[in-house]
Amino acid sequence: MSGIDECLLEAMRLPGARGAALVEWVSGLALGVVGEAPGGDHEAMAAEAAEFARNAAELPVFSRTEGAMDRTGADEPEGRGAPSGTGEANGAVDPAGSPAGTDHRIAPADKEPPVEDVIVVARTGYHLLRFLEAPYEGGVFLHLWLDRAQANLALSLMRMRDLSERLVLE
Amino acid sequence: MTAQVPSMLVRLAERRATGALLRDTGVLYLADGAVVHAESPAAPGIDVLLTAGGRLRPELWREAVDEAGAACRIAGYLLDHRRMSGGELEIRHLSALYDAAYFALAPDGGPSRFRHGAVHWFGRVRPVGVADVVRETRRRRRYLDDLWPHSHLDAAPPVRVRAAPLPPVTRRQQDVLDLADGRRTPGQIATRLGRPAFHTLVDIRRLAAAGHLETGVRTSDRSTATAPGTRTATAASAGSGPAATTSATARTAPGASLAPVLPPDLTGGAPDVAVLLRVRDALEARL
Repeated sequence: MSGIDECLLEAMRLPGARGAALVEWVSGLALGVVGEAPGGDHEAMAAEAAEFARNAAELPVFSRTEGAMDRTGADEPEGRGAPSGTGEANGAVDPAGSPAGTDHRIAPADKEPPVEDVIVVARTGYHLLRFLEAPYEGGVFLHLWLDRAQANLALSLMRMRDLSERLVLE
Repeated sequence: MTAQVPSMLVRLAERRATGALLRDTGVLYLADGAVVHAESPAAPGIDVLLTAGGRLRPELWREAVDEAGAACRIAGYLLDHRRMSGGELEIRHLSALYDAAYFALAPDGGPSRFRHGAVHWFGRVRPVGVADVVRETRRRRRYLDDLWPHSHLDAAPPVRVRAAPLPPVTRRQQDVLDLADGRRTPGQIATRLGRPAFHTLVDIRRLAAAGHLETGVRTSDRSTATAPGTRTATAASAGSGPAATTSATARTAPGASLAPVLPPDLTGGAPDVAVLLRVRDALEARL
């Protein structure tokens, strides 16, 4: 896959796809859009979806991994432990040995986002948000809007995962 | 932004111009009438954002600069040598482009000049329409003001409030708080973190709105009482900063704590040009 547009166009080949976008959730920037947007306004769709994605990514209730094994486990640098209720997911630790210098905070975010997908089931459509697994400090997600009558949710989810991986790997 | 800059950009786009639009607050590069790159002294460069956190090892970046910089095709070199995927390069480059464009098109960014034929050394990645860049820049300004309408926070060094119980912060915001020492500007904090400057501005506005950072209303502003902490911190920054900051501050210091009187913030005001110049000086001093 060579870029953002190819990724979005491929997402649009899914049954029931109405519109797709790649959005940076910190800024609300639409990096690329194809197809329709609810109300015809891609900018508004990106900004609103970004706000929703930001909450999903940052609110402790969604990102906390209590009870689960920490992926980086013993590598957690001293002092990285999240005080409860701060929104610091337990899984959100920097990889040890980061070349960013002595200050361990100046390191990339986790490669794997604490939340992977957000699914909104609306009366007439689905909205799938898929977070990219890459150390983007900005946080980027794929947004696909589907017609509920025509879409296959399970298939769409699988395809979105595949597309999001290939976008940053190939 | 002033009315002239967007209309000048539209004319350049219509003429399919190639070159650089130069302002005090940054540079916008056009190729065939589309925006292909942007730079600002207030925002981390593409080199900082690409090498942040070791994503692209600095030696590989230098290799790309050495091999392809003179030919202005570093982006192509990174792709040809599979340093990162086309998708990731597009994402990171667009993020950097819109980030710098926000400052380059600032309302009080000073006069604009267009240098025909100028080409940026990074090379073309994914050109963006002039209208898209202008619209996004405006949206960002509105977004920040919706969060907390105090635009001087875009340029002033943020000062922490260490009082009372404060609401919890996210990890991203904690990173910003840790670097908010009353001396570093938002742009310097963004560079340290390897994040786009606008993302840091978003965190700063949210943190100020939540009470973690001083809003520091200027003495001339509205009827509100002054925030003594901010002025103290500004004065302190001239004397006690680390070497790079101190020398950079010294060059432009006379204006630093006697900043020009700004209109009330609620009008959506402008970044302080004097502070932006200090940021540029500080960044240059570090290179």
